[in-house]
Amino acid sequence: MIKDESTLNVMIETVQKFVKERLIPFEEQCSENDEIPHEIIDEMRELGLFGLSIPEEYDGLGLTLEEEISVVLELCQASPIFRSVIGTNVGIGALGIVIDGTEEQKKKYLPKLAAGEIIGSFALTEPDAGSDAASLRTSAVKDGDHYVLNGTKRFITNAPEASVFTVFARTNPEIKGAGGISAFLVEKGTPGLSLGKNEKKMGQWGGHVCDVILDNCRVPASAIIGEKEGVGFKTAMRVLDKSRTHIAAVCVGAATRILDEALKYAVERKQFNKPIAEFQLIQAMLADSKSEIYAARSMVLETARKYDLKKNISTESSCSKLFASEMVCRVADRAVQILGGSGYIRDYAVERFYRDVRLFRLYEGTSQIQQLIIARNMIKEVS
Amino acid sequence: MKILVCIKQVPDMESRFKPAASGVWYDESDLAWRMNEYDEYAVEQAVQLREQLGEGCELTVLSIGPDRVGEAIKKALAMGCDRGVHVQDDAAATKDPWQIAAIIAAYAKDQGYDLIFTGMQSQDRGSAQVGVTVAEDLGYACATTLVGFAYDNGTVTAKRELEGGIKGVVKLTTPALVTCQLGLNVPRYPTLPNIMKAKKKEIQSIPVSELLKEEPLAATVSFHPPAKKGGGIVLEGEVGALVDQLMGILKEKTTVLR
Repeated sequence: MIKDESTLNVMIETVQKFVKERLIPFEEQCSENDEIPHEIIDEMRELGLFGLSIPEEYDGLGLTLEEEISVVLELCQASPIFRSVIGTNVGIGALGIVIDGTEEQKKKYLPKLAAGEIIGSFALTEPDAGSDAASLRTSAVKDGDHYVLNGTKRFITNAPEASVFTVFARTNPEIKGAGGISAFLVEKGTPGLSLGKNEKKMGQWGGHVCDVILDNCRVPASAIIGEKEGVGFKTAMRVLDKSRTHIAAVCVGAATRILDEALKYAVERKQFNKPIAEFQLIQAMLADSKSEIYAARSMVLETARKYDLKKNISTESSCSKLFASEMVCRVADRAVQILGGSGYIRDYAVERFYRDVRLFRLYEGTSQIQQLIIARNMIKEVS
Repeated sequence: MKILVCIKQVPDMESRFKPAASGVWYDESDLAWRMNEYDEYAVEQAVQLREQLGEGCELTVLSIGPDRVGEAIKKALAMGCDRGVHVQDDAAATKDPWQIAAIIAAYAKDQGYDLIFTGMQSQDRGSAQVGVTVAEDLGYACATTLVGFAYDNGTVTAKRELEGGIKGVVKLTTPALVTCQLGLNVPRYPTLPNIMKAKKKEIQSIPVSELLKEEPLAATVSFHPPAKKGGGIVLEGEVGALVDQLMGILKEKTTVLR
């Protein structure tokens, strides 16, 4: 749902200009140094990118999902690490509070998250609970008006930069599955909370991931999102329904850029006395990528429109995330093929994107988990 | 103090331009639209002055054109202008600079603007006539191609760019109009929160028929892309023979050698 098209168009134009002038020129440097310069993050903050999805009453922009995605499609034409900086505040690191937080929690955290003053992080995955998130072992034991948390969270995006973590822990050990899980807001600096070393990743250098360790970490009972025990997993799934659509849009944005790089190369690079773009086998790769990007883009926008109408998008968001994340990897693979040897060389953005986009098939639910969600929803509807 | 900044919306200059069926302008379909680059310098300078002067200063942005022009006005409002004026004209592109200037002057004449900012020229038509003609119509002092600007107590100090990199400084007493050139400033990005806030700012809509009483003085008779150039000449062979060939060509086809 687009509330005001001309306002959205001005936003899109601004983000396009920012991407072209301020992000793309720094991509390589950020990747090589495994760090985004502070001044770039400050500029992103000033531009208002951290508050895309946070409601206006908490100082965010309050964009609808369709509007948010329209902006993300442009932002993600730069390296995905820039989106990753804002990604947790716009998505999983803030959505739990937006969806199920108490008024007090919203007032305390959302304005700061919207302004980018603090970074939010989402701590669900554990060493032994990845795809099977409902089996998580981190415990939260009630002790007076506090809870004591113990456990390790793995591969937590933006954890090194985060000031507030949405930590999922089991408050009721009697219930083995989802019903025993609660979501806690744990602030950086809380005694007992520490971080592991930064993981060395295949791609997305400049974006940081590490373990979050909870060792007798005491938090007040008021830190439970919504101050309700046992609904944390439901909160996580609702967060992921929305954020998977966002990730699908990230894939479409990246694929658009990758294809653009491949096309530019194909029309310039000459072999056998003509541009390689004139060869039909190259054209087939370009056309397949274009068609798949168009399909994924249509899926993402349609899912967002459905979300904005307050309809259940569990199936559609998984379909979009599954298709778009697989699609962007195919587009990146074809791009490397079109560039030939150059596609394997670091001087070309395509080599970096090829490694960067591989993550999208893994996080916020692997492709296989998306398949399970889609199929289970289908079966549920007929049984 | 009252300030007016005039802006034009132009196609993204990376677009591929095709002549329209009329043959006198480009086909506007499938183009992405932007604020004219020189007008961005004008808006930025006007906003900086607005910030310098603070309370009691009103900055209005004006643009002429169809509905889409509203986006350029919103961008200027998000950059810091206080209110917008949209002169509704679906046929603005067919009007000559004399008429465009007449529309602006007709709007501005009773408003008491102390200072008017415009771009040096538009990126599409590039006549560079509108700003100076508005100044003439209103009887304002005028300085063009500004690369430096200062204002103090009714006096504008304008640094102008002359040919060959030479600069000149002129002083103007308000009311005055200045046209802005690349190098004057670095236009700010309109932040997303300010774009949202701009929705609440007033945009006055005025039909062009209420302002335009002038007939055109110049008619565009054709619009066409440049003729395709032939391919370059590649000389091949031994160095001595190459020099002879090159000398021959330079003598025959150019005035470099006689």
